[in-house]
Amino acid sequence: MDAIQSLGLGFSVALQPAVLWYAFLGCLVGTLVGVLPGIGPLAGISILLPITFGLNATNAIVMLAGIYYGSQYGGSTTSILLRIPGEASSVMTCIDGNAMARKGRAGAALCIAAVGSWIAGTFGVIVLTFIAPPLATIALRFGPPEYTALLVLGLIFLAYMSTTSLTRTLIMAAFGLLLGCIGIDPLSGHFRYSFDIAELGDGIGIVPVAVGLFGLGEILSTPSHQVTGEVIRPKLRELWPNRQEWRDSGWPIARGTVMGFLIGIIPGSAHIISSFLSYAVEKKISKHPEEFGQGAVAGVAGPESANNAASTGAFVPMLALGIPTGPVTAVLMAALMVHGVPPGPSLVNDHPEVFWGFVASMYVGNVMLLALNLPLVGIFVHLLRIPYGYLYPLIIMFCIIGVYEVSHSIVDVWIMLIMGVVGYLLKKFSFDPAPLVLGLVIAPIFEMSLRQSLIMSDGNWLIFLSRPIAGTLMAAAAVLLAMSLLSMASKRRDWRAQMAEEVKE
Amino acid sequence: MDRRTFVIGTAASAAALPRAARAQDAYPTRPITILNAFPPGGINDVVTRPAATAMEGIFKQPVVVETKAGAAGSVGAQVAATAKPDGYTLLSHNNGISGYAEVDRLFGRTPKTTRADFIPLARLCADPVLVLVNEQQPDKTLAEFVERAKKEPGKIVYSSGGFYGASHLPVALLEQAAGITGMRHLPTAGGGPAITACLGNNAQLTTQTVQATIQHVKAGKLRALATFGAERSRILPDVPTMKELGHDVTYYLWVGLFAPKGTPAPVVSTLTAVIDKAAASPQFVEPLTNVGLEPSYQSAADFAKFWDEDARRAEDTIRRIGKVG
Repeated sequence: MDAIQSLGLGFSVALQPAVLWYAFLGCLVGTLVGVLPGIGPLAGISILLPITFGLNATNAIVMLAGIYYGSQYGGSTTSILLRIPGEASSVMTCIDGNAMARKGRAGAALCIAAVGSWIAGTFGVIVLTFIAPPLATIALRFGPPEYTALLVLGLIFLAYMSTTSLTRTLIMAAFGLLLGCIGIDPLSGHFRYSFDIAELGDGIGIVPVAVGLFGLGEILSTPSHQVTGEVIRPKLRELWPNRQEWRDSGWPIARGTVMGFLIGIIPGSAHIISSFLSYAVEKKISKHPEEFGQGAVAGVAGPESANNAASTGAFVPMLALGIPTGPVTAVLMAALMVHGVPPGPSLVNDHPEVFWGFVASMYVGNVMLLALNLPLVGIFVHLLRIPYGYLYPLIIMFCIIGVYEVSHSIVDVWIMLIMGVVGYLLKKFSFDPAPLVLGLVIAPIFEMSLRQSLIMSDGNWLIFLSRPIAGTLMAAAAVLLAMSLLSMASKRRDWRAQMAEEVKE
Repeated sequence: MDRRTFVIGTAASAAALPRAARAQDAYPTRPITILNAFPPGGINDVVTRPAATAMEGIFKQPVVVETKAGAAGSVGAQVAATAKPDGYTLLSHNNGISGYAEVDRLFGRTPKTTRADFIPLARLCADPVLVLVNEQQPDKTLAEFVERAKKEPGKIVYSSGGFYGASHLPVALLEQAAGITGMRHLPTAGGGPAITACLGNNAQLTTQTVQATIQHVKAGKLRALATFGAERSRILPDVPTMKELGHDVTYYLWVGLFAPKGTPAPVVSTLTAVIDKAAASPQFVEPLTNVGLEPSYQSAADFAKFWDEDARRAEDTIRRIGKVG
């Protein structure tokens, strides 16, 4: 019952008018930042970090955290309405979310995304409240071999991700993996495929690629659909999900929440793949996998929940151990440190009011975001009433600003523009860009963790089987692969026959 | 691309004054930008922002910190090196700037920036690096560790934030000083992940700063065997220096401010005077104390000397490590 008492203390802090005000401010700014294409949580927080130096520690962290998960909520808006991912984790929302919008169900998609995010966020905070320290200790055991095994599982799931054929998926994924090899070799310092451009040393950024492929590619290919200024005009009663849509999103939200949270607590950059994995899982277990890509509700509910649960989960190692799980939590940690409140094992004892105030404000913030986002759904949907001729130039401008703002790099803007053209071509020849983005996300992490594992084991490949967590994940991957092969065999079609058929198409 | 190429047309009204005097009186007439070559949330960010705030108060002009991170700080260094040397674009950098050219030469690349491209203005902070082992390791002292490392070559894995970086070079210095060979290197994507690897015992040893690891040392998750500081840290008085243990090496992670080569001398002297003054103000001192940094500010002349030593040390160490893979 200790946690309950502490939470009481937390709420007594979080419900003070000043703290409430900063939580609201953070949520509002976060939502607005999230809606801008390209500017994800990291850019939003980095821009606004200096403002918080003048506040006290509690207000600062509450406001920054509000910006953080507010931008996660906001990120789904542009994905659904305009097919522009604000960041890597909303790529999967683009696919079915935007398909729903085209069918006139934009409001329903936005609502389900908001409610799913709220459930996921709240679940994450509840777990954080009660079992953060032991969870964080388990997360620490997740070293390079475990990472490698997780990504192997992710790569096998790739096959279920695509909305087109398997061959096309594999082509796209391979292209993404190749792009992901660009940059400084993390284990030797050699430059690879960077053509002497220093900015390419860190590899190709995910945001410019995602915004280019999905957003810009979509815009470039719109005129070729011979749009006659016909815009989507949703009616008011269509703004809310119908009963069937709620029913279809219940389980995906639950699954996405749990899976996202578990992936989120792993230190490193694994949280990016949570939404991809959730999408693949939903498609795999769906009774109607053919609906995915055509506006399946589960394709919005699962990934959106997974994404938000992962971003809450990322706080677990940060608060309990003082370990940044990624760039965003690193910035939050810096903000706390500047205020003389270093996160870590002693935070709870030394500054209970900050720790519990922060946790309680996350409950409050999630409710605020729901209250903020649901009324906004109506306003956002009206965006679609703006004729394309006016809307699209504006969007292109925001894409450029957003991508530039992420790292102040003109090279990123070029990457986005080139990827826009690539996205246009892919659409023309009906290739799905999602596996390419996942390949790009996975490649550097996969390569690094694989090679790190082999350094740790001095070249012994058994390290992936001898460690319990890694072994379990590898076994799951093997089972999944075997099941897929069996189901192919039962369809009396081996890989080759299927490939040949696809080539004929 | 360069938003700072914007010039305020005050030239006509000031034309009556002699040129040199005008530059001195006039500087700064518009906002100054400090390019931070490292990602937000890192030590550069944490130290540079308070410095900028304090400078703003003295200059009565905005001092903006702009993040220009990438490729371990070399992107920011390149942008600063090619910026107009007029005192309106400065660079916040760290140890990395001592070794770029040497790493490039090692790989047969033409160095994009060398030390000659920059004028050192001030060292904002210098945090000594600690030799840390995971709590599950048996060694209670550095001597015990060295003995074990010599007995079991190839057994011990150390983590760093990246090749030739500020947590790779100290290990090489330790190896050389103590005569250890055959530890295995686990490079990661930065200081945070390197610490995480050591906390999870995926690496047994890491060399990181006091500020970055004090929490874990106090919680007993990491054991500090020695400090690379010249004196014992006030925060960790029980940890002996490398020198006390018979190894004459020091290593700090430092943050410095630089101006591009060719910045006019009067502007440089104005800058150094203002930064000196800013560094003494509570606006700068308090946040640094909060973060857990001991006062270690150096003004231009001392910093230039220190930088020479640091660069020599970095270059020697990089050459000794050599090319890998």
